[in-house]
Amino acid sequence: MSSIGLEPSAVGSAAMSTEIKQDAAARFERDVAPFLQSLYGGALRMTRNPTDAEDLVQEALLKAFAAFGSFTEGTNLKAWLFRILTNTYINQYRKKQRAPLQTSADELTDSQLNEAGENLGMRSAEAEAMAKLADGEIVDALAALPDDFRMAVYLVDIEGFSYKEAAEIMDTPVGTVMSRLSRGRKQLRELLREYATERGFIPSEVTA
Amino acid sequence: MSCGHPHAVACVQIHSWMWIYLDDELEPESAHEVVHHLEECPPCADAFSAEIIIRTRIRQSRETVQTPEGLYTRIFTQIQQTISDE
Repeated sequence: MSSIGLEPSAVGSAAMSTEIKQDAAARFERDVAPFLQSLYGGALRMTRNPTDAEDLVQEALLKAFAAFGSFTEGTNLKAWLFRILTNTYINQYRKKQRAPLQTSADELTDSQLNEAGENLGMRSAEAEAMAKLADGEIVDALAALPDDFRMAVYLVDIEGFSYKEAAEIMDTPVGTVMSRLSRGRKQLRELLREYATERGFIPSEVTA
Repeated sequence: MSCGHPHAVACVQIHSWMWIYLDDELEPESAHEVVHHLEECPPCADAFSAEIIIRTRIRQSRETVQTPEGLYTRIFTQIQQTISDE
């Protein structure tokens, strides 16, 4: 700055505020860049379309930059960014896609959860066969889940958010996250089992 | 999905806790019961192993997502523009 030859007192307030904004932009870029791949991955799982995913990330990050002043440093930046990404998706893209909301029958009763647990009994040999599926097949299976279930599974199983963080990102109670997660995981495993059977990794008589 | 032996906590209960336990979200007391149960119940232990294999595989699938070239530059250039536009 001194190379410009201005005394500090001569620096106008407009110039100062631009400088502050430049600093904010640099800080934003430095802090957010490490999460770009995660955010794009999240956007891709939400929109299921690379062009929409790029637009979504771009729009969400512009919003995030505008709101960056309200972000408390030292708190969870990744969760904060995902919350903005999710809200942007819900407000813009989901309306456009007119995807049905999976809000009815969202809550699971204890007996349903127990039933889910009971039906789950997968054997490790079967799991090893399912694990032979290609990445693309797993991505396809996840993409086939209903919107809200897919979001819960994505946030917890792929991004590693806690139930509480996922609840904050999706703006739902923790119990709703747990029931969506439970249903989404169950459907995902059923799909993976189907795919593995189709590919001949699991003999079809064993799956019955 | 039971080994036919009596347990302090039933296999069905342990199964209903499986995901919560593996997500590291189960309260410590129940988590302790899960560990104890798995030590003495091979079918449940195998079901937990199966679940760990699947969730590890699902998490690995994220690695294939490639961020499009130019997205980074495009976003941060646009942010710079919003500043100079003001």
